[in-house]
Amino acid sequence: MKRHLMAAIAAGLTVALGMTGCSKGSSSGGGSSDGKTIKFAAAIYDADTKVYWDDLIKTFEAQNKGYKVNLEMVDWTQIDQKVKTWVQTKQTPDILNYNAYSDFARDGLIYKASEIVSPQVLSDFLPQFVAGAKYQGEQYGLPFISSARQLFYNKDIFKKAGITDPPKSWDDVKADAQKIKKAGFIGYGLPLGPEEAQAEFYSWAMNNNGGWVDASGKWAINQQANVDTLNYLRDLNKSGLTQPNPETTDRKTVFNQFALGKIGMGINGPMARKNAIQPVNKDLSFGVAPLPSKDGTTHNTLGVQDFLVGFKNGGKNKDAVSKFLNFFYQKDNSAKFLQTEGFLSVTKSAGEALSSDPYYKPFVDALANAKFAPTDNPAWSAVAGAVKQSLGTSVANADPKKVLDNIQQTAEKNG
Amino acid sequence: MRSRGTGVATPVPRAGAARRIRSALAPLLWIGPAIVLIAVVVLWPVVEMVRTSLLKISSSGLTLGSRGAQNYTDLFSEGDLVDVMLRTLVWVVGVVVATMVLSLGLAQLLNARFPGRRVVRWAVIVPWAASVLMTSLIWKWMLDNYFGVVNEVLVDLGVIDKPVNWLAHPTQAMLWMMWVAVFVSLPFASFVILAGLQTVPGEVYEAARVDGAGTFRTYFQITLPLLRPALLIASIINVINVFNSFPIIWAMTQGGPGHATDTTTTFMYKIAFFDQNVGESAAMAVVNFALILVLVLLYLRASRWREEVS
Amino acid sequence: MTQQSATVARPVANRPAGARRGPVSVRKVILTGVGWLVGLFFVAPYLEMLVTALKPEHELMRSSYLPSKWNWSNFVDVWKAAPIWQNMKVSLIVAGAATLVTLLVALPAAYYTARNRFRGRNAFLLLILVTQMFAPTALVIGIYREMVSLNLTDTLLSLILVNAAFNLPFCVWILHGYFSSIPKELEEAAFLDGAGRVKALTRVTLPISLPGVVTAIVYTFIGAWNEYIVALTVTSSPNRQPLTVAIPSFVTQYQEHWQYLFATSLIAIVPVVILFIFIERYLIGGLTAGSVK
Repeated sequence: MKRHLMAAIAAGLTVALGMTGCSKGSSSGGGSSDGKTIKFAAAIYDADTKVYWDDLIKTFEAQNKGYKVNLEMVDWTQIDQKVKTWVQTKQTPDILNYNAYSDFARDGLIYKASEIVSPQVLSDFLPQFVAGAKYQGEQYGLPFISSARQLFYNKDIFKKAGITDPPKSWDDVKADAQKIKKAGFIGYGLPLGPEEAQAEFYSWAMNNNGGWVDASGKWAINQQANVDTLNYLRDLNKSGLTQPNPETTDRKTVFNQFALGKIGMGINGPMARKNAIQPVNKDLSFGVAPLPSKDGTTHNTLGVQDFLVGFKNGGKNKDAVSKFLNFFYQKDNSAKFLQTEGFLSVTKSAGEALSSDPYYKPFVDALANAKFAPTDNPAWSAVAGAVKQSLGTSVANADPKKVLDNIQQTAEKNG
Repeated sequence: MRSRGTGVATPVPRAGAARRIRSALAPLLWIGPAIVLIAVVVLWPVVEMVRTSLLKISSSGLTLGSRGAQNYTDLFSEGDLVDVMLRTLVWVVGVVVATMVLSLGLAQLLNARFPGRRVVRWAVIVPWAASVLMTSLIWKWMLDNYFGVVNEVLVDLGVIDKPVNWLAHPTQAMLWMMWVAVFVSLPFASFVILAGLQTVPGEVYEAARVDGAGTFRTYFQITLPLLRPALLIASIINVINVFNSFPIIWAMTQGGPGHATDTTTTFMYKIAFFDQNVGESAAMAVVNFALILVLVLLYLRASRWREEVS
Repeated sequence: MTQQSATVARPVANRPAGARRGPVSVRKVILTGVGWLVGLFFVAPYLEMLVTALKPEHELMRSSYLPSKWNWSNFVDVWKAAPIWQNMKVSLIVAGAATLVTLLVALPAAYYTARNRFRGRNAFLLLILVTQMFAPTALVIGIYREMVSLNLTDTLLSLILVNAAFNLPFCVWILHGYFSSIPKELEEAAFLDGAGRVKALTRVTLPISLPGVVTAIVYTFIGAWNEYIVALTVTSSPNRQPLTVAIPSFVTQYQEHWQYLFATSLIAIVPVVILFIFIERYLIGGLTAGSVK
């Protein structure tokens, strides 16, 4: 009996170790020594993302004999941790799909755009995205997907509250929110929780001539326009015109309630329809309007873009990285990704190829004058982190000016 | 070999040296594998952690050189640090005390004889068997302001007249998270105590009854002292686990609003991945370890651990 | 942990104070009621998990006690939505192997330190205690760097080693306690009866300390089964990721399938509870089973 037990233990151990030993892939670190096998870490946008990449890689490998792309899918909620760990242990993938690039550029980890994509691809990027993909005047990031934020409003609620047109000025927003509240709904869904406080805040601040930096590019987070913006949002909250506790509410929650027909207005991007509204309430009658501005005349839009970057990893991978990227940026391939995921184009050619769904039109139009977060500044990640952690408190208990002062300090400390 | 007791070899002429070496090496045969496993898998990363805390690490994660103690200086000048540390203390003490008290009762119940006891024991194990992350998520789900079942029940019972956004208010959120920590700690603690109860001999109770001691006196004067070893193990493991606990707070409030519900462990994570400062985060990890070390040693001293071991 | 030694062999009255006849039935009814309520209380959150897992996706975040339609198909679809079988296999291999390794390493160490005094014994026990205090959360980058050096990233072996090592301290500690509480004389007696040293150990000491061994098994298995942060960092291929890493991926930045997340969470609990059902009696009853009379 005892002998059986020991034998079983030994057998179990052998099997376990054997299996793990055998199943070890060749994926550690970057690619192979001949530089023809590369690792691509792609962010998960939704369930279709992996299918798309698997498919694309298969075609690529078939057309380029001897080249191999190892795909690793990483969820957005886990990507920061993974990327930091990779960089710190020198295990970066050869290509990464991420929302930042400038600190990699500053630290000399990634290729310049011109080193890894053809001149045709380079000239195909829309200029407003190239501006946000540079570090010290040189383009490093390869714009990948983009999106623009607009004001979503519930048409049924507007009708019940007796509102005819979507609000244009901040005063309109407040007045409409009051009417909506009277009709028994939540006026405006304000997500200032850690998920995306920086995007929500900037969507308002830019329409009050505020923002992250001044004209010379220096951090100007605690400027008066920003303080005023927070005071306005704080007033909305304190007047009971938003959902309770904006400081802990994430956009997902707001848009779930929006989809359920409980919130009158909220800001989101085009993918909200596919990911937030349709799964919950197919019949929701909603409209999309430009972001309201303080004076109600000019309306800026928050643009968001994600990037692809190529890590040097010693340099042997350059040929393979470049081949694969050029392949992806072929018009049909990149357009297909945008269609699959419901994002907006960053290139001229794919933009033309995009479907003519009228839903996208206001977003595409708005993108022309979109403002972007200062992703070209390597300190931006830390600033965004500070904003996510603390900005929301300014519309609850904390003093807006003090909160912004603290974030300004963080920004200056990081350069 | 064993009969030598203290392990110091009595010097025997001639073969003395060889013997001494043999007797010094003998333990290695038994404890060597444990030491190797710990050294390779645990101590190696610990050394890395300490080293990292002295390095200048760029926001991308790249090592830029040495930074001396500057990471620690930065850490100690964080305005929120003191609050976070005090909150961690409250968190640990509150959760552990509640867990121990409740698990004493729970163990007694699981030890009592009633129909279906085995099924109840299986039910109690579930929060331990489930991943803490998932348990935290379902509690967050149940406490939701818009659709949470806790609010639904309380409103239907008339306890509150409109839903409460439990996790948005620091004090309420903290209490709920401490409750979840207690909830997931109870199974382990009660089963250790339950096992301890098995070792209490029946005659002791007979004797107490003959002496005319009441139920309460019997419990406090006989059962509880005999449970000391079990209590000690359960509470120390609990202290360490609760101190290091990350998923509960991360899943339920992310330490927010602001830093109002952070403990040192979530604070450490935020320094690395929100503030992009891996070096300072490593310094926080080192400080975190020092804290738990002091906490446990104080506790052991107070509970006179040595007497138990030797 | 030593005082118990003299009484180890004595059967224990399972009901300390309630041996009297008479009011027993009322007592028992109350006790049973309380017992069942407590049991229900502990599974209540998981019942809510079940109810949520059975809701159609568009009903998830609406307040309603029960789904309008019980979507049992969620439990079927989830196997198609992700490679759950594979993840569960990984979880089983990692948790099982880690438990084995831990036991094989902890048993000799605990036995030896309980039976012998030697130079370095206290240092060793202190090392064990201190090791217990390190959390993988704080060490994860170092662990990854180490696995890179050992060329073990993205392998199950790395997860087995990490889980074995981080659960080792508790196992050594609890087994040490059990071994110390067993009088040496029992072993000596068996030894003198003609059994060999090893036989005395396996025939006498191990059976008595079975509850300790079982506690160690349960603790390590559950710890390894639910380990998340190291598995997340070290593994990258979906077919080498345990359930804990697979489950949260149902809810991401751009899509939320809470029904699948909760369904898989429930599925993940089942193997552990089954394990526990099989060995629960040893956990509690072992000492009273009276293998030494």
